[in-house]
Amino acid sequence: MLFFDLCIQGVIQGAIYALIALGLTLVYGLLRILHVAHAALFTLGGYIGVIVTNGSGSFLLALLTSMLIVGVVGMSSYTIIYKPLLNRTPLIALIASIGIFIASEELFRIFFGAYGLSYTNPPLQGQIEILSGVSLSHARILVVVLAIGLLSGVGWLAINTRVGIAARATVIDPEMAASSGINVEMIRFGSFFIGSAFAGAAGVMVSLLNNLVEPTMGAVPSYKALAIIVLGGLGSVRGALVASLALGIIESFGTIYVGHLLDRDSIAFAFLIMVLMVRPQGLLARG
Amino acid sequence: MTAKRLQIKNVSVKFGGLLALDDVSFEVDDNQLLGFIGPNGAGKTTLMRVIMGMVNPLSGTVSLNGRNITNLKSVQRIHAGVALGQQIVKPLRQMSLLDNVALASGGKKLLSPFRALMVQRRCDERELARKLLIQVGLGDHVEKLPSELPLGYLKRLEVARALALNPSLLLLDEPLAGLSKPEAEQMADLISNLPRVGLSVILIEHNLPQVQRICPTLYVQSNGRQLAFGVTNDVMADPAVRQAYLGVGV
Amino acid sequence: MAYEIVVLTNMAIAVLFALSLNVITGFCGQVSLGHAAFLGIGAYTSAMLSKSGVPIVITFAPAMGMAALIGLVVGVASLRVRHDFLAITTMGVVFLFTGIVRKQEILGGEIGISGIPAPDFGRVGLLATSLLCVLAYLLFTIWVRRSWAGFAFDSISEDEDTARLLGINVPKFKLFAFVVGTAGAGLAGALYAHQVRFIGPDSFGFVESISVLAMVIVGGIGSIWGVILAAAFLSALPQFFQVIDDYKLLVYGLLLFGAMRFAPEGIDGLLKKIFRRRAVK
Ligand SMILES: Nc1ncnc2c1ncn2[C@@H]1O[C@H](COP(=O)(O)OP(=O)(O)OP(=O)(O)O)[C@@H](O)[C@H]1O
Ligand SMILES: [Mg+2]
Repeated sequence: MLFFDLCIQGVIQGAIYALIALGLTLVYGLLRILHVAHAALFTLGGYIGVIVTNGSGSFLLALLTSMLIVGVVGMSSYTIIYKPLLNRTPLIALIASIGIFIASEELFRIFFGAYGLSYTNPPLQGQIEILSGVSLSHARILVVVLAIGLLSGVGWLAINTRVGIAARATVIDPEMAASSGINVEMIRFGSFFIGSAFAGAAGVMVSLLNNLVEPTMGAVPSYKALAIIVLGGLGSVRGALVASLALGIIESFGTIYVGHLLDRDSIAFAFLIMVLMVRPQGLLARG
Repeated sequence: MTAKRLQIKNVSVKFGGLLALDDVSFEVDDNQLLGFIGPNGAGKTTLMRVIMGMVNPLSGTVSLNGRNITNLKSVQRIHAGVALGQQIVKPLRQMSLLDNVALASGGKKLLSPFRALMVQRRCDERELARKLLIQVGLGDHVEKLPSELPLGYLKRLEVARALALNPSLLLLDEPLAGLSKPEAEQMADLISNLPRVGLSVILIEHNLPQVQRICPTLYVQSNGRQLAFGVTNDVMADPAVRQAYLGVGV
Repeated sequence: MAYEIVVLTNMAIAVLFALSLNVITGFCGQVSLGHAAFLGIGAYTSAMLSKSGVPIVITFAPAMGMAALIGLVVGVASLRVRHDFLAITTMGVVFLFTGIVRKQEILGGEIGISGIPAPDFGRVGLLATSLLCVLAYLLFTIWVRRSWAGFAFDSISEDEDTARLLGINVPKFKLFAFVVGTAGAGLAGALYAHQVRFIGPDSFGFVESISVLAMVIVGGIGSIWGVILAAAFLSALPQFFQVIDDYKLLVYGLLLFGAMRFAPEGIDGLLKKIFRRRAVK
């Protein structure tokens, strides 16, 4: 059942990537900025998840609090980091964002310690046998369910509501949207909120799967998520989702079959470079 | 038969489902100033981009001075003698007008970094650039940055920069657009007064009075197809042209 | 005294490394988030050779050559992608580099290479050698900047489509920048290997790539003197901050953010502003 196992692992990893990548894609679509500090929001989500669960005993409360707080912090990151830099070259915003990311890793370490936090009573550890011989913990199932639920929820809003349609138009062409009377500023706040909240949710889920949050847990997922949104065609939400899933699965197979040549992180980037050489505009171009 | 300055044969271009150029053929003689008109979306800019090698045609050939350049890259075509002044001006905003033009007159140095590395002197090119800028009426602004100047001046910069490439075929895409009436008149004079010894010009314009005034020959295109080609007055009298072009918009 | 020499050597190597990225990102406008890979290639090449008995100075040439060769390959690959796609591709390069090195037994795998011979000309000699390398590379980049190559780079870094229409053979110039820049990084790597005498995959990762990019940007993209100042300052920063060692990265991160927020033109821009104000008065 190795094949099946690897597929499942890939899908779970892909679901986490997708939750993180959504925010990055939205920010890129709206501001043309690579939002590295997004990873700090993911980590923040993990910390809030552990702390609130340990304090209150309710994982659901922790998940919701985390999404709410991270969403709000994400909105303020727009005001604090990016808004003053909007008319500079994107490289400036990228470095500023990296600066904030480095600083926030340190803040996590200073506040919560270098060794990280764990759940005192990890929730959702029960196992379900989904096929004979293959069983999954509730937590792992929840990751996938949550990703599908949240992402299709947003997808539904984007297609069926006025605000959603305006937001999609803005992501595709911000200038055009502004000139046709859409309140671009509101769309930006909204997108930062949703994107960050989802990253927060991903942080909570990863903290649960590993039963650990550490100051540096955001680093690798954030680099991967950058690769994913580039792979997906920068600014294309659908592309990013497809790329998340593809990368999750390729990594899980790759570590088994080419793991002796390349480590997990470089498999992702080898795949990225190969795709870009064939399709320099990413898997799905914008639109 | 001597080779024509430019010869375009059966060029077709498709963008997705849109046939932007449909089997276009035409020629430009030596030392000719050819007006090129057509309604918006007629494929004028696209044809210029085909000549420059910025768009790959579906089929057809482009020859310059008898040499088939269809398979050359833009850079090679430029060094073979075509230059384009673009519809949307693209000055290099970090350098003065003088340097914008001087850079373009760098010739072979621009083809290879090693050759470029060998040379530090820029005075000859600057001298030439200054002359060209004076010629287009920007003599008082050579040291200014493009951001300090209005559009009308940048349009002239675009022309000077194209001339600095020392072309035998100059393509000008709507150099009069966005200019005031006196400015447009000036620019038209400038174009018609270019020393056309060894230089042919294709002038794309919507400003019909000026085109009629300065261009002896006219090529008309509509919807990617040739409508008419010949002596300006005959072409303008052609009912098909009046119908397709003058009937719409003007 | 020995301590000061180490600090100064580190600064010299950082300056060389930053100047080399300045050719690619500053002159030619090609953002690279993976420059540390080439520092690593130079370091590994030089370390392997000098461990097998080749005199240190002789290893410089193959270190530069190897870095430039792979730099050329990366350059050719990156001709296909632009802007942010390029940035992330180069980021991929550095992950690929560390990922491959980790799995190579001959390169010491995870553990890296230790016992790199000390330079036989001593610490002071290494400092002098580093300074000479910096000087040589500096003079070369000043020459590039002033020549027609620098002139062409100015246009490519601003708008490569326009550069192309001016008759500039853009791909060749880009490859030239990649080769010159990665060769410089290779040289810096060779010096670095003999300065620390122990190298591993973690010394050449994404964070190091970002640090050197930060030096170039804080210095003022493309400005040679600004980049030198920024590289010297930022590389010595950890030493200044010994006292607050715990908060080193916090300060560094906030500094990067602050620099971008309040002085996005970098040191170069700040200096120009000050001098202009003086001139006005
Ligand atoms: N890169 C492209 N991709 C897709 N379609 C294009 C592209 N460039 C041009 N077109 C289409 O091809 C047709 C011809 O365009 P072109 O710019 O050549 O017209 P034009 O004659 O220069 O018009 P104008 O007078 O407005 O400048 C238009 O319908 C245009 O929308
Ligand atoms: Mg046009």
